[in-house]
Amino acid sequence: MAQIPNLDNAPLNFTSLREQSQKELINILKNNRGKKCLIIDPKLGGSLSLIIQTSLLKEHGVELRHLSAEPIQTDCTKVVYLLRSQLDLMKFICSNVHNDISKGLQREYYVYFVPRRAVACEKVLEEENIHHLITIGEYPLYVVPLEEDVLSFELDLAYKESQVDGDTTSLWHIAKSIHKLEFSFGVVPNVRAKGKASVRVADILNRMQVEEPVNSSDMVVPEINTLILLDREVDMVTPMCSQLTYEGLLDEFLRINNGSVELDSSIMGVQQEGKKIKVPLNSSDKLFKEIRDLNFEVVVQILRQKATSMKQDYTEMTTTTQTVSELKDFVRKLNSLPEMTRHINLAQHLSTCTSKPTFLGQLDMEHTIVEGQSYDICFEYIEEMIHKQEPLVNVLRLLILFSITNSGLPKKHFDHLRRELLHSYGFEHMATLNNLEKAGLFKKQDSKSNWLTIKRALQLVVDDTDTANPNDIAYVFSGYAPLSIRLIQHAVRSGWRPIEEILKLLPGPHSETKRGRFSSSQSFDTLQGASANTDKVTDGRRSIVLVVFIGGVTFAEIAALRFLSAQEGMAYDLIVGTTKIVSGHTLAETFIEKLG
Amino acid sequence: MANVSVAAEWQLLGDRYYRKPELYQPMRWKHIDLNRNKVACAPFGGPIALIRDDSKIVQLYAESALRKLRIFNSAGLLLSDAVWKNPGGRLIGLSWTDDQTLVCIVQDGTVYRYTVHAEPLEPNLSILGREHFDENVVECVFWGNGVVCVTETCKVFSISDFKNPMPVRLADPVAAAAETEELPHCVAVIEPQYTMSGNVEVLLAIGDAVVMVEEDEVQPLPLPPGDGPLQKMVVSGNGRFVASFTHDGRMAVFSTRFERIFEYQCESALPPEQLAWCGLDSVLLYWDDMLLMVGPSDEPVRYLYDEPIVLIPECDGVRILCNTSMEFLQLVPSSTVSIFKIGSTSPAALLYDALDHFDRRSAKADENLRLIRSSLPEAVEACVDAAGHEFDVSRQRTLLRAASYGQAFCSNFQRDRIQEMCRTLRVLNAVCSPEIGIPLSIQQYKLLTPSVLIGRLINAHQHLLALRIAEYLGMNQEVVIMHWACSKITASSAIPDATLLEILLDKLKLCKGISYAAVAAHADKNGRRRLAAMLVEHEPRSSKQVPLLLSIGEEDTALTKATESGDTDLVYLVLFHIWQKRQPLEFFGTIQARPLARDLFITYARCHKHEFLKDFFLSTGQLQEVAFLLWKESWELGKNPMASKGSPLHGPRIKLIEKAQSLFSETKEHSFESKAAEEHAKLLRMQHELEVTTKQAIFVDSSISDTIRTCIVLGNHRAAVKVKTEFKVSEKRWYWLKIFALATIRDWDALEKFSKEKRPPIGYRPFVEACIEADEKGEALKYIPKVADPRERAESYARIGMAKEAADAASQAKDGELLGRLKLTFAQNAAASSIFDTLRDRLSFQGVS
Repeated sequence: MAQIPNLDNAPLNFTSLREQSQKELINILKNNRGKKCLIIDPKLGGSLSLIIQTSLLKEHGVELRHLSAEPIQTDCTKVVYLLRSQLDLMKFICSNVHNDISKGLQREYYVYFVPRRAVACEKVLEEENIHHLITIGEYPLYVVPLEEDVLSFELDLAYKESQVDGDTTSLWHIAKSIHKLEFSFGVVPNVRAKGKASVRVADILNRMQVEEPVNSSDMVVPEINTLILLDREVDMVTPMCSQLTYEGLLDEFLRINNGSVELDSSIMGVQQEGKKIKVPLNSSDKLFKEIRDLNFEVVVQILRQKATSMKQDYTEMTTTTQTVSELKDFVRKLNSLPEMTRHINLAQHLSTCTSKPTFLGQLDMEHTIVEGQSYDICFEYIEEMIHKQEPLVNVLRLLILFSITNSGLPKKHFDHLRRELLHSYGFEHMATLNNLEKAGLFKKQDSKSNWLTIKRALQLVVDDTDTANPNDIAYVFSGYAPLSIRLIQHAVRSGWRPIEEILKLLPGPHSETKRGRFSSSQSFDTLQGASANTDKVTDGRRSIVLVVFIGGVTFAEIAALRFLSAQEGMAYDLIVGTTKIVSGHTLAETFIEKLG
Repeated sequence: MANVSVAAEWQLLGDRYYRKPELYQPMRWKHIDLNRNKVACAPFGGPIALIRDDSKIVQLYAESALRKLRIFNSAGLLLSDAVWKNPGGRLIGLSWTDDQTLVCIVQDGTVYRYTVHAEPLEPNLSILGREHFDENVVECVFWGNGVVCVTETCKVFSISDFKNPMPVRLADPVAAAAETEELPHCVAVIEPQYTMSGNVEVLLAIGDAVVMVEEDEVQPLPLPPGDGPLQKMVVSGNGRFVASFTHDGRMAVFSTRFERIFEYQCESALPPEQLAWCGLDSVLLYWDDMLLMVGPSDEPVRYLYDEPIVLIPECDGVRILCNTSMEFLQLVPSSTVSIFKIGSTSPAALLYDALDHFDRRSAKADENLRLIRSSLPEAVEACVDAAGHEFDVSRQRTLLRAASYGQAFCSNFQRDRIQEMCRTLRVLNAVCSPEIGIPLSIQQYKLLTPSVLIGRLINAHQHLLALRIAEYLGMNQEVVIMHWACSKITASSAIPDATLLEILLDKLKLCKGISYAAVAAHADKNGRRRLAAMLVEHEPRSSKQVPLLLSIGEEDTALTKATESGDTDLVYLVLFHIWQKRQPLEFFGTIQARPLARDLFITYARCHKHEFLKDFFLSTGQLQEVAFLLWKESWELGKNPMASKGSPLHGPRIKLIEKAQSLFSETKEHSFESKAAEEHAKLLRMQHELEVTTKQAIFVDSSISDTIRTCIVLGNHRAAVKVKTEFKVSEKRWYWLKIFALATIRDWDALEKFSKEKRPPIGYRPFVEACIEADEKGEALKYIPKVADPRERAESYARIGMAKEAADAASQAKDGELLGRLKLTFAQNAAASSIFDTLRDRLSFQGVS
């Protein structure tokens, strides 16, 4: 099965987006004729694996290398760099080129910035005095479709960069990506944003519409009806909780990267010592599509049922005489066997992980913190984790969760935990603490926490959650309904107005705007009526709500959105846009910075 | 009858009719004698440049002795003039390029260029280049955008494109050794677009021969014997034929490879003053008062002129400029012939006739129509087409009325044909009016394209008409408005900025998406910086606005705009600009007040300008940030073994950290950081000492907890305790560390001893955990009973698989929920593992693994 997802059933034409990106990349390769060494920055390489097959690159005379400071090992005289316009990547180019110069090697260098040239990056090349040796181009890859309903802007550092460093490049990038989508699918008439970054993106998007208008008269009805922008900052609670859907757990324990996991072959039942294998995970796998968003407990049961029924069929097969059509049926079922085996292996691995006391303890503690009732127990638990020197990321996750739900810790506790942390993990983590403090994730208490109010008002903790037949999104965390998705639930249903009081308790401003043809003349109410009518028509397709998470989204949240989308009476298809798929782990990791 | 009078004006050449409608009569100019002047007329109804010919002796009347370059439109309306006092000797040739620049070449090879407004275009070029400055140009031949010059020593030079003028010397037509003083009789060029090589080919008639000169070779051409020497040559509009006049008075047409196609014996052996192609069908020869049109048939047409004329070849005919009029000599189009030819009974002629009857209310109209019913569409088409070829408005109208009359009776005629023709004719009539003076035939108009026509109009500052035409034809008006705005700025140096801005904005707003930045850039170039600043304010595209603001020195506004746009790349652009321009302190001051710029600067500087960043933090009083930087540097020193030489105790690393500590201590809010830095320095010292005493380099850069563990693992308990007390490690942490360190080295006795030292502050659970993790259930059992909380006890038992004990403990805790959970875990664990095992077995049949 391919890692490149199948997009045929996407509610928007994602295939054309992907084909466009493919074509642009191939054109870059074609324009530089002959054999060449293509050097890709590894993270970009991951994104590209969702767009184009490596074999296709090789057809265009490419020797593939990963960007590093090591001298380039190639006989090619043409070196083509393909990299994100990140300042810290420039030093690699510099060291590569300087190395060639010192060896007297003469090469042609081409640098293609993704998604566009950056003055600052070129400045570095200028300062290093190699700018004149390099031909510079752009590869405008702004959006990568991950699934039929998920787009990623592939900005894994967006959250940290804008929260800690104040570098808002990613916000422009997001606005540009959405604006590019509007060129294909029409101007989105309704925009709702919550959070500082989101409101800014909505603002930049409006500016772009003024600067480079999408001609709305060409399109009869815009395909995307509403855009909901949400800052990760608004809800940092959800990603810090352990995800309990099948896909979420896979990500927590095995790290899903660009739609696949890499794991020990032994887990998949292949006995090859120490060999890693890559398992693609996307909706092209029918079984995975069926179970990815379910609570893991339920997944185990489903797999068991399926295996049992197959076993039954098999025994019937060997004992009784069968008609041809029954045989056919059986063979068809057999076709799904590799998928069954794959997921049974993965599920088995997960269940060994989830039954570990450390995980259960962590899960328990997460719920205790979210409940927000037992401060001391939580404090001691975290202190103990630090004393035991448990993996730093795990500690940080709980610490962040704890700090946010209490809107910071009292100074005494704050300093104490910081000191214990530095003592246990080393003084180099002063920078990590500094980052977390700047981002407001782990800080001194400065006001009374309103978490309990929020929790109550939005019904975030749902008792008696039936994970097998869920009637609420809370099933994805076995009892906790993700705050982010609750907000979206409201935003889709009735806009921000009814929950304005709650929104004010959450970080950042919120905004609601009308754009395009609807921007003036019509009043809000008539628009509601009009849009309700248009929602249902047009060849039975539902209109679309694009939900964009600025700072990342977890698989569990996507699962919850899909659950909402599948509910009866839902008038919209929900599509997710995100800076990157994240988990508490990857999110916390971006803040870890050693001074050294 | 009207029809007859039309055809009566035609002349028959062979089997084709020619006509010569008057375009302008009289010309608007007064007292112009073409004979006294050198004349350059641009094709496509372009302007006419006149300058007194200094190679002729003329009588000056009441005019200045100074020569004047005068530029007229085709109707003779003066557009502009300028005094000609250019040095460089006699004017050899002048001509208009495709983009209507007047190019004048003088004797010494200098090329002067003028706009239609007679403004000189700097810089002047020399076609001869520096090495041949002493040559003299004697002849030059122009084409579209290029020119070829021949010097008196018979060297050939060329500029192939005036847009990018690069003088090139072509190969010498005469061998250097021969040194004949003979100059070529005549010169002609084949334009690059018609040659195989894509470079110009020059035909020179030298002596009895004709040679073709290219950039690097000379080729003799096989001129039929007896034809040379040629007195005059001219290449046809499609670059495939050469018309020439031989020494013995014959007009001969050759292919460009000099195969003779046709010849005509003229009455005079004197070469004509002018020789020109009329379309591709006939050749015009002009002597003093006679114009002879020679076609493929034997009998030429003669026209007599009692005044001098200039022949202006067009793609579909020749314009004839006289002192008092301008005519257009053309082949009569076939549609026109079919309607107006005397005695024509073609459907089109009958339709035209029918309209006439209709107008006179004669029933014959219907009769006519019935006659041509089946071919009505062709008839309509012919009338539409013929209308297009007319210059006379009333005749255009009659023909179009005939077409529309016919159209009413035919169902399947493309209805927009007539509309389209009307639209085209309106444009043509508008530009043909004497005020504009661009007479174009429909064929020329199509070849020229409407957008080029609009370009020419705006060049001639006919903005209003250009705008109307653009609007009328549904074309983009941006070009027109943009050009207008720029011209307006140039022309309005007396109007104050604010007023001019109003005037400009009023028009600019007509066109959505127009670049205000481009107009502003123009204003700036004209020295109106304030106006530029006001204009750029209206530019919606920040990516255009910001660079311009920088170039007009409005850095602060640029920074504001860049920040507002949200495009960090623009902010960087401004940032680097200011950085370069201002003193560091001023620069720091500027960005400190702008959070986004400041943060981006810090991000950039963190990567690549460390020292400068330190300066920034120091000058803005952010000492803690400097401290962080120093602290970071201390680690980099640690990674670099060369830098940490010297006594480790007082090494540069520790010094840096201490410096950081003292900076942190400057502000009260950073007492925590200050303390941490102090501790870090202390830790490094202790670790150095430990490495010295243990002779093992494993301590430096590990954490305090790790240091303690390492000490214990190494059995150095005294050192461990020392670290503990030095850093005031809490009892709780100490217990955890020691328990796990002892479990790591599996020193179970020591662990047990430790457990008995005193009542552990963290209880006995950690002991149990350490043992279980080391997989020592026996050891774990020693401590489980001591665990105080029955619930924890129960879970501990459960973890080592002692279900019964677990259940007991749980029941002791009177915790039903826990009990249930335990049962479930046991059941699930057992079940889960066995279930999965069996599943795997079940599925591994038939070779599927």
